[in-house]
Formats: sequence, C-alpha cells, structure tokens
Amino acid sequence: MSISDIYREEILDHAKNPRNQGKLSEFDFEYKENNPVCGDTITLQIKLDEQKQIKEIAFTGGGCTVSQAAASMLFESVKGKTMKEIEKLSSQDVLDIMGIETLTPSRMKCALLSLEALKKGIIK
Amino acid sequence: MLDIKKVKKDFPILNQKMNDQRLVYLDNAATTQKPKMVIETITEFYEKYNANTHRGIYQLSEKATFLYEEAREKVRIFIGAEKTEEIIFTRGTTESINLVAYSWGRKNIEAGDEILLTEMEHHSNIVPWQLLAKEKGAILKFIPVDKEGKLNLDNIDQYFTKKTKLLALIHVSNVLGVVNPIKEIIAKAHMNNVPVLLDGAQSIPHMSVNVKEMDCDFFAFSGHKMLAPTGTGVLYAREDILEKMPPFQSGGSMIKEVTMENTQFEDLPIKFEAGTMPIAQVVGLGAAIDYLNSVGMEEIWKHEQEIVNYALNQVRTIDGVTVYGPKEKIERSGVVSFTIDGVHPHDIASILDEAGVAIRAGHHCAQPLLRALGTEATARASFYLYNDQKDVDQLVEAVNKAIKILK
Ligand SMILES: Cc1ncc(COP(=O)(O)O)c(C=O)c1O
Repeated sequence: MSISDIYREEILDHAKNPRNQGKLSEFDFEYKENNPVCGDTITLQIKLDEQKQIKEIAFTGGGCTVSQAAASMLFESVKGKTMKEIEKLSSQDVLDIMGIETLTPSRMKCALLSLEALKKGIIK
Repeated sequence: MLDIKKVKKDFPILNQKMNDQRLVYLDNAATTQKPKMVIETITEFYEKYNANTHRGIYQLSEKATFLYEEAREKVRIFIGAEKTEEIIFTRGTTESINLVAYSWGRKNIEAGDEILLTEMEHHSNIVPWQLLAKEKGAILKFIPVDKEGKLNLDNIDQYFTKKTKLLALIHVSNVLGVVNPIKEIIAKAHMNNVPVLLDGAQSIPHMSVNVKEMDCDFFAFSGHKMLAPTGTGVLYAREDILEKMPPFQSGGSMIKEVTMENTQFEDLPIKFEAGTMPIAQVVGLGAAIDYLNSVGMEEIWKHEQEIVNYALNQVRTIDGVTVYGPKEKIERSGVVSFTIDGVHPHDIASILDEAGVAIRAGHHCAQPLLRALGTEATARASFYLYNDQKDVDQLVEAVNKAIKILK
C-alpha cells in the first residue's frame, strides 16, 4: 500500500466532492451499512428502471477518504448495471475502479463498505 | 530520573524500521510492548518449568504452581491488597468485569434496581451491564461528562437512589487520559451504601495504585497494557464480597469434590479460576511487575507527564488541529486524542503509519463518550515509559505531512 497511490488527486477529489451524494425523492431500495472499525455509516438509495437496471443511486454518510472515494467511484460505475452484474462485483473490482493496487486489511474494509451496502441492499 | 536510553533498549520490538522510518509506537492504550525480561521469563518457563498447576504430584508441577502463585503475590503487593485470596486471574479487564456482572450481578441485581455508570466508559464497562439489566429488568444510569470530557460531579449525590446497587466506572479515560477523582467518588458512593467497581485498565500501567487507599470494592485490569503478555488480567475484590459470590465459569480446578449431582467448590481464589489458566503468561505478568518496580511507578508517571505535556503543547498549536479533553491543567495520563478539521482520523492514521508512527484512529470502544464530545472518531496517540521527545517530534512531523496531503 503506497500513500501516494491512495492519496492522489483523483481520489482526493472524489472524497471531497463525492458524486451521487444526497437523497432521492423516489427509490426502490434503501440500505444502511456500518463499518464496525470506525463506526462510519453509509445509507444508500437506489432507483431501478423498467429493465431492472440501476437508474439512479444516491448515498449519505461521512467517512474517510478511502470509503468516500470508493462510494463515489463505485456508484458512478454501476449506473445501468443489472442486479446480476452487481452481485458479481468483487473487492478486486473496487480496487480496479479506484485505480489502487493494494490496501492494508483495515483500509480494505473502508473501501468495501459501499460495495457491501450495495449488495446487501439489492438482495434485501 | 528514568533512564530513557536504557529503557528503550529493554524493548526489542522498538529496535526496527517501519517503512524505512524509526518505528514510533504510540498505541499503548491498546496494548503495550514487552521488555526482554518478560519475553525471557516466558521462554525460560517453557524451557524449564512448564507443567499444569495445582494438581501435579511431581516437582515440575510444583515449581509451575509456585511460580504462578508467586505472580499472584506480586500482584497483591503491587496493588496494595490485603490477601492473595482477593486476586483472581482472568483474561483481561473485559473478563474481569464480565465475571462481576455474571456472578455478583446476577445474585444481587433485581428488577427495578439501578446500576450507575458514566458516559466515559469503555464498552467493556457498559455492555455486560446492559445484558444484565435486560435479563433482570434493571435500569442503567449514566453520570454525564461535560463538553470537555470531565465527569459532571457537581451534584454527585443526586445520582444515588435507594435503588442504586453498584457504581461501575473508569479510573483513567482511555480516550482522553482524564484521571477521575476516584477517592471522592468512592467515598460518596459508600456514604450511600453503594459498592464501586473500578475499571483500572488505563490507571495501573501508569501510576501507583492502592486498592485499600482508594477503598474500591472491585478493581479490574489487563496485564497486556502493563508490559505483560496478552491473555492475562486481574480482578481484585474484597474477600468478604468474593466469599458470597457464586462461581463464574466452572469445571476443572475450581472444585474440591464432584459427585454426579453436586459439587463443592474450591476456596478463593481458585474458585474463580476454572480450567487451565494461561500459566506462562501469568508468570510473565509477575516479571512485568518486577520490571515496572525496578523503574519505579513514580518515575514512570513523571516521565509520561513530561512527554504528554511536550506533545500537548506541540500538537495543540498545529493549525487546524483540535485536541480533546479539558484545557485546564488537571491530572491527565499520557493520552492525546485529536482531529484535523475536515480529515477523517483513518486517513491520519494511514499517513502516520507510512511515517513509521503507530497510532489508533476510531471510536476507541467508547462511543457514548465520543458522542458527548461531539465527534464520532479521533486519532489517539498514547505514550508509555519507553517513549521520548524524539517520538513526539516524529509524530508532529507526520501530522504536518498528513495536513499537507489531505487539505
Ligand atoms: C478503559 C479500558 N477498559 C477496558 C479495556 C478492555 O481491556 P481488555 O481488552 O484487555 O479486556 C480497555 C482496553 O481496551 C480499556 O482501555
């Protein structure tokens, strides 16, 4: 895990100005997940289109640079995806989307909070 | 004066690099490093004396039993207890408190009774009481902290009612280092006929403690936070209280005689030490106490005061940094909890780690306290006898680096 790799311009920008942050007026699912390590929570809302693909997605909740940037970048990338496609997303996919090679196990939890919320929200 | 050069050399783990930087270990409130003397004691135990205790009729077992019981005597003297019967070995503070909640609590707490805690507690002094209260229909009450993180004791009498059965509170805060005015609090509780359990996890490693002088009824602490191996802890309780308590865990060792229907329990303290205990580790705890005594608890406290004041003065003046805890000069152990405006503590910890500095970031198992302080998480540097001003300098430099990267 290299610090310059994580704290680079693009990630810091996503963390400071997360895309899709806020609430939806209408949604099909809502799910809240928390990271027991730090107590950070993320609440996620999803609206689907007729083909059951993700049409809109929004989240609220603060967190560290890694968890905020992961939520911002992951949720940007899942618009238009089907539930099946979401279920297949792995932790490696999250790292790839963020352009980070590796994270320490504790920081990995921060990165995966949004993916877990997304998967559990959809299954529910 | 504590000879810091010599002390540092006594801890082999500190003599290593982390990311090409000198390792600076500042997570001592979570667990402490072990001096060579403790490590060698454990090795020697396994190489020369290892056997199960108390039941063996052969010399090795007798020697192992002797060393285990010698450690108990060292603990007794170290905390100023009257009798070794009052010293029960556990896995740590958490288990010590659970023992009291399970055994004493189930016997003495009834529906409608009140258990008094404080907002400053570590989760290990909240959750066992919550479970007990739910089971019994009892009520938890909390002495509040003010915005700075001091217990609000102005009208302490108001917290005690006829229904109050126990006051369980933290001696020194693991988040802020605040030392609570324990003698006054205990005296008030006793005037109201309320026994007191002290969570001493963060006091006994850093200051000289005397359970008789404080007059507490229960005192719980962890060995691993005072240079001893993990898996060791102690519950002190007054003998007359322990005598009336039913067993906690049960099975081997803690019995005198077992028939198919019934069991006669061992005498104190073995009655509360069921099964094979962490024998080598307890012997290691004895060695840790020898080490602490050789340096001197007064010297350790003085040294930590120097370091924490040096750290507070520097960290407080960094632009954008908030340091938590009372601003006035009060008794405070070697803990500095801080945040950087607009920066999550996890990010601080990651960047400090890259600079070789190990600190903790998060809620420190004290979520009610952090909420009372108006935050969810802090970065926490906690010091011990082997930390020096150079360690603080490396911390401050790394904090400045974190600000540069993240702001
Ligand atoms: C004040 C306090 N109480 C209790 C504990 C729990 O100690 P242990 O994990 O050793 O049981 C800790 C340590 O984390 C602590 O700081």
